[in-house]
Amino acid sequence: MKKNERKKIGLGIFVIVGILFFILAIYYVGKKQQLFNSTFHVSGFFRDVRGLQVGNNVRFSGINVGIVENIAIISDSAVQVDLLIDEETRRFIHKNASAVIGSDGLMGNKILTLMPGTPGEDVIRDNDYIRTHDPINMDDIFAKLKITGDNAATITGDLAAIIGNIRSGKGTIGKLFMDSTFATTLDRTVVNLNEGASGFSDNMEAAKKSFLLKGLFRKKKKEEKKPGEEEKKPRGRN
Amino acid sequence: MENETQIKSHYLAPLKKFFSDVGRLVQFITAFFREVFLPPYEMNELARQSYAIGCRSLPLVGITGFIMGLVLTIQSRPTLVQFGAEAWLPAMVTVSIVREIGPVVTALICSGKVGSGIGAELASMKVTEQIDAMEVSGVNPFKYLVVTRVLSTTLMVPVLVIFSDVIALYGSYVGVNIKGDVNFRLFLSQVIEKLDFSDVMPAFAKTFFFGFAIGIIGCYKGYYSNSGTEGVGRSANSAVVLSSLLIFVIDMIAVQLTSLYYND
Repeated sequence: MKKNERKKIGLGIFVIVGILFFILAIYYVGKKQQLFNSTFHVSGFFRDVRGLQVGNNVRFSGINVGIVENIAIISDSAVQVDLLIDEETRRFIHKNASAVIGSDGLMGNKILTLMPGTPGEDVIRDNDYIRTHDPINMDDIFAKLKITGDNAATITGDLAAIIGNIRSGKGTIGKLFMDSTFATTLDRTVVNLNEGASGFSDNMEAAKKSFLLKGLFRKKKKEEKKPGEEEKKPRGRN
Repeated sequence: MENETQIKSHYLAPLKKFFSDVGRLVQFITAFFREVFLPPYEMNELARQSYAIGCRSLPLVGITGFIMGLVLTIQSRPTLVQFGAEAWLPAMVTVSIVREIGPVVTALICSGKVGSGIGAELASMKVTEQIDAMEVSGVNPFKYLVVTRVLSTTLMVPVLVIFSDVIALYGSYVGVNIKGDVNFRLFLSQVIEKLDFSDVMPAFAKTFFFGFAIGIIGCYKGYYSNSGTEGVGRSANSAVVLSSLLIFVIDMIAVQLTSLYYND
């Protein structure tokens, strides 16, 4: 009899612990889906929900605060999305808050992100409608990426052609970099220029001392010394 | 004319036997549903059977559950690491365990341990004419032997599956931490994050059907056993084979229904 009683107690503990685990699982899964929290409803209209589904998470400042409760087509260009949001976050969401559909990572589920609005505005109320932004279309992003890629391909092609020309010594820069004869000629030209400049300087010195040009240089010196008089003279002539 | 008789005995006899078996099984199931609601209720025997089926199977189910979670995690890891999705390991293992592996593996273990036990026990009672003796002494053997056992498996297999899932998740936590470093709270929040009612409820509901299949097949095979002591072994064996097969069939139907309902 005692053994029988012990078995019954064991069975009772076994069943109760099992049911407790189940209830805990239900509680936590339900809590995640806002089943046991006090909540409020808001709605928004989208032109395209991009695969958003009932049960997807609603995020505010990166935290899951609610779920998508219902999605219904209202007209040919509007889809109404009803959201169920945790009451505790209501005080942070203002009347001019907005919603945008995004994605949880590259392969993740769709999520709906709430932007809080400006702090001066009133807090959002139950069953209010919020502004929405249409989600960024991945096709558009890929189209733009394609254009950028094409441009990059053209630029790199041109660059490759230019570098090819430079390497083969074509054009001015190519000759400058690759042609050794051109470099030698250029070097010689610079040497000649130096020599020419020093020869010109000697000639000028000789010209200063020559009796034909001595008067001219003296006159120039006088003009440099009396700049005020020189300025007056042209006026007097006019 | 002789040829025709030979064909009949060769092909039609097994077919006839199959249909007669199915008909008898349906009768057996109908009798169960009739008897289960009619008093007197054998509560003590129900508790005894539940203890034997539930509590006694817990160590086996627990060990297999732990290994299941651990091995599944370790085996899934390299593939997820290749994709850089190591953080998805707890979520992926959890969904696999809760939706499919936990219920099916636990039911198969129960069919091996409990189904064969019930089949052999009832068959030996049948062979030694204990069932007839019960009937003579005024006890309803169907109610006492069959109803209590089928009810016990129907109620205990779901509880065993819950334990198995929980222990398997612990095994998975150990598996994640063999090569990685995830604390228990993060693991739990990752597990709950990815679990939905659509994962938990259908998986839990189908375990009742698994339990019912194990009990009813075990009892049926034992109750209609014949051919003496040789029949005892055969009943135990065919109870395991048929209930295991039924578990997979029920699982397939459950998955189809779930995907229809939840539009997965």
